[in-house]
Amino acid sequence: MATILDIAGYNLDYATPTGFTRALDAVTLSIGGGEVLGLVGESGSGKTSLAWAIMRYLPQSAREAGGIRLRDKDLIAASPAEIGAIRGRRIGMVFQDPSTSLNPTLPLGEQLAEVLERHRGLSRKQAWAEGEAMLARVGLKLPAQMMRRYPHEASGGEKQRVVIATAFACQPECIIFDEPTTALDVITACQILDLFAELQAETGVASLYISHDLALVSRVATRVAVIHRGRIVEQGAVAQVFAAPSDAYTQKLLAAVPRPDHRLVETTPDPAAKPLVEVEKLSVHYGRKPFLAKLLGREGTRFTGNREVSLAVQPGEILGIVGESGSGKSTLAKALTGLNPFEGGLRFDGRPIAGIGDMDRAYRRDVQIIFQHPDSSLNPRQRIREILSRPLALYGKPGQGRGAEAIGDLLEQVRLPRSYAERYPHQLSGGEKQRVAIARAFASQPRLVICDEITSALDVSVQASVIELLVDLQRRHGTAYLFITHDLNLVRQIAHRIAVMYRGDLVELVDVAALPAGASHAYTRSLLDAVPAPASPSA
Amino acid sequence: MSPAYVLKRIALICYTLFVVSLIVFAITQILPADAAVMLLGENATQEALAAVRERLGLDAPLWQQYLHWLGGVVQGDFGTSMRTGQPVGPALFEALGRSLLLALFSILLMLALALPLGIVAAIRRGRIADLVVGVISYIGVSLPEFVTATLLVLVLADWLQWLPATGYVPLTENFGRGLLHLVLPVLTVSLILIAHVSRMVRSELVDVLHTDYIRAARLKGLSNRTVLFKHGLRNALLPTITIVALDIGYLLGGVIVVEEIFALPGIGRQLIVAIQSRDLPSVQAGALIMATTYAIANFLADIAYAWLDRRIQYD
Amino acid sequence: MTETFRRMLRSPQGALGLLIVGLILLVVILGPALAPYNPDTMAPLQRYKPPSAQFWLGTDQYGRDILSRLLNGARATVVLALIATGLGTLAGAMIGTVSAYLGGRADEAIMRTIDAVMSIPSLLMALLIVNLLGKSSLNAVLAIAIAFTPGMARVTRSVALAVRKQDYVNAAIARGESAGFIVWREMLPNVVAPIIVEMTIRVAFAVMLFATLSFLGLGAQPPASEWGLMVAEARRFMHLSPWMILWPSLAVALVAIGFNLLGDGLRDVLNPRT
Repeated sequence: MATILDIAGYNLDYATPTGFTRALDAVTLSIGGGEVLGLVGESGSGKTSLAWAIMRYLPQSAREAGGIRLRDKDLIAASPAEIGAIRGRRIGMVFQDPSTSLNPTLPLGEQLAEVLERHRGLSRKQAWAEGEAMLARVGLKLPAQMMRRYPHEASGGEKQRVVIATAFACQPECIIFDEPTTALDVITACQILDLFAELQAETGVASLYISHDLALVSRVATRVAVIHRGRIVEQGAVAQVFAAPSDAYTQKLLAAVPRPDHRLVETTPDPAAKPLVEVEKLSVHYGRKPFLAKLLGREGTRFTGNREVSLAVQPGEILGIVGESGSGKSTLAKALTGLNPFEGGLRFDGRPIAGIGDMDRAYRRDVQIIFQHPDSSLNPRQRIREILSRPLALYGKPGQGRGAEAIGDLLEQVRLPRSYAERYPHQLSGGEKQRVAIARAFASQPRLVICDEITSALDVSVQASVIELLVDLQRRHGTAYLFITHDLNLVRQIAHRIAVMYRGDLVELVDVAALPAGASHAYTRSLLDAVPAPASPSA
Repeated sequence: MSPAYVLKRIALICYTLFVVSLIVFAITQILPADAAVMLLGENATQEALAAVRERLGLDAPLWQQYLHWLGGVVQGDFGTSMRTGQPVGPALFEALGRSLLLALFSILLMLALALPLGIVAAIRRGRIADLVVGVISYIGVSLPEFVTATLLVLVLADWLQWLPATGYVPLTENFGRGLLHLVLPVLTVSLILIAHVSRMVRSELVDVLHTDYIRAARLKGLSNRTVLFKHGLRNALLPTITIVALDIGYLLGGVIVVEEIFALPGIGRQLIVAIQSRDLPSVQAGALIMATTYAIANFLADIAYAWLDRRIQYD
Repeated sequence: MTETFRRMLRSPQGALGLLIVGLILLVVILGPALAPYNPDTMAPLQRYKPPSAQFWLGTDQYGRDILSRLLNGARATVVLALIATGLGTLAGAMIGTVSAYLGGRADEAIMRTIDAVMSIPSLLMALLIVNLLGKSSLNAVLAIAIAFTPGMARVTRSVALAVRKQDYVNAAIARGESAGFIVWREMLPNVVAPIIVEMTIRVAFAVMLFATLSFLGLGAQPPASEWGLMVAEARRFMHLSPWMILWPSLAVALVAIGFNLLGDGLRDVLNPRT
């Protein structure tokens, strides 16, 4: 197998006012024809910097050393004109989010055809005909129509297929895939991966597949390289690295990957106990009739967030809610915390809650919510001390202190140093901020905590520690969780039961123990198929 | 762009014009001075004053006066000037024509200069060219029209004697001299627009050049020229349309000052004269016509934007 | 606050803006004390003097010292512009906050009306109001304040709505905080920063507008040493002494540039993204 892309002892530094920061340190990699090298790392590991370095897309402040070669071409020494001829022609690239990587004001076909015109010297007409054939090849039905559509007229999956078609358009020798499925929902992502595998086998291109997701890389790659703080810490065949990781960081990363068979929660809620929350035929509608539509006697568009959802949560139970974006998971969370008006029945601890007006102090104390983005959920102009003092002031028990002592205790409970009380949110890392949000939720000693995608903005290893903290808090306080996520494997680790939502409907409520066989609804089964459980390390 | 969107915009412009007429009427009609006294002088007899009040409808309740006035306006009758005794409408529309000519030349000059300046500054971001454009635009937005006009007259008319300092010659009468008389007013009005719009073009383009799709276009191997003109400019100029439309408000304000300074008989000058002589119907009509011009410009910009930007879906 | 100040000094725009505005405020406070002559003393033998060691900026048609008049006029020009902007911001912020708070149809009605009011150009609006109230500095201040109100209402509303969507506000609602606490403690500190930026830039505009009104004879009245009025008076004598018209023009421009720079500097510093 001939080596296509060869990176040898490559260093990359960025100039900053305080000196140079190292982004990549002695990176050595090579990819042969027909091979897929998976590059795995967390945010800030330098994996994207490497992609820019290969594409020769570096800022002025970059300083480099070492070599990057495409076959016998030295890319570092290449002139701008040569690079222009190589990009898109010999090295293609597929980007993370198709909704931002496509120009919103140009038709999809134009953005594909221009590459063919530029690199293969086709006329406009030839390029459009060829483009249509390409779109058919990446599995788009009605390719001629798709060519004329604008990005906003296509779905995420369709757009990513266009991007992939563009990357493969000039039969490049090498393609860089930069997290190509991260912005897509799981089922679409699975189809894109199938397409990738198909095209990869057909063209024999050398692929660099960049991802934060170890499980995903284990499916698509032939070899894998793990990058941490700019260094490749481990590299080898997928089976070998996964089965017997030699580097400590790789081991930690592998251990952090959620595995459904690795249960983290041992408690079981008492099935005979009185339910803590009962939701009966709860619906949420958004929007109102536009004035003009009403005037013209037309039916306004009322968007339905939840359609007659019914479920119950036992005391101390962890109920997982899964579904793709827009399925109504967060809408339900907002309805339960009084952030959305709702219709239908809600009972808490046997007490009926007819609407937001019935959510009194006792209810507010007992039901807490933690949001997805800690950046947005912590007020940037308040110190951690002020943020944590509010629930104490509102709901503190008579015996419980409210001063620095109590705030320090709250911070310690979420394993943060007491000294963090004097900091502002922007002085904390993402994981630390989320811990503060957790501390705030637990300050009132609630009986139900709603976790709305609270780990999806975090790296795998940080996610693992946050989950561990939540499990620990649940064991100590017996709190019930409504754990909302799109990550099926994660929720199977901790939930007792799982509710599956699809386009506003609750389609299935299933015991985790019964999975995967117990899934009855077709959507649940396709979800399960789309995210196979990652291979377990034998170590 | 759906017909419903256009209908909605037309309904909105009607509402806008209604509110404007209400404000203009309210502000001008609650005059501290008695219009009849102003018209006839302090020594008029009570009978004469009463007769004038009745003729002008000043003794009716305010809302009736408003409806009467609005009814006239809708039929194109803006009333009679208290100063000249002539109908207000024809004189004002003639003046409006001259002002629009000034505005049109100013906008053309602005587009011809602001777009290239903004584009150059964005491409050469952080370099000398960017700095120069930045400094020019800072000074431009900070100079009120009367200061710009003063400085221009001082240098170009007084000192170098290249251009006439004031006056107006219709283009139909003597095209060359007419244009010459327009140069200083147009320069004055457009400077602030050039400064503002070039800054906006620069910042929009800088933002666009940092988007993922521009990076994607570069990484497809497209030439700098294609990336800039095909992918960049189109997206950067769209929001600029809205800004240009909003700037027409500044432009109209500038027109008022510039016409006063250069003795250009446009609608702004008419308005100042009317205000100074407390000629009520002329003030009302002048203000209404200017505000309407602005509202229509904004309406056209919105329609153009919606037509150019296919992403926007209106209900 | 000191942190903001330090970061301001690091950006060239902010540092220059701070310097210019600082100097202007110094002149506003100490102007009359710094002036070498009485601004109203006429000297028939010293008319139309060019700048010299005796009269740094020259003299006007009555032989009054231009520097002294400028230093005294700073109060009239800058302080009144600040007051006008402050009033306009206050009124606009109130309307904008109420509109954002009410939401729904009331919000839409208020905003459509604001849009309609904004289709009267600021200068025209100010002219009409001066026409209503009569020519004087105070009325010009009111006119500018009223002309600024709809624009500030718009800015306040959009900022308030953006903050309202943040999860820390949702968290406060879910926690059962009172409406007062949410508005004052959670929202206000985050709304104020962008409004201060907008306000600073508007001061520049107010200085220009106020001077323009005076220039048109509708603001400050003679013998005041307001800068716009000085330019208007000097126009007749432009051929005799260009200095008379140059200095007050430059003074207006300098103040406007100073506040524009300060506003842009503040925008960069207060932007949480940087």
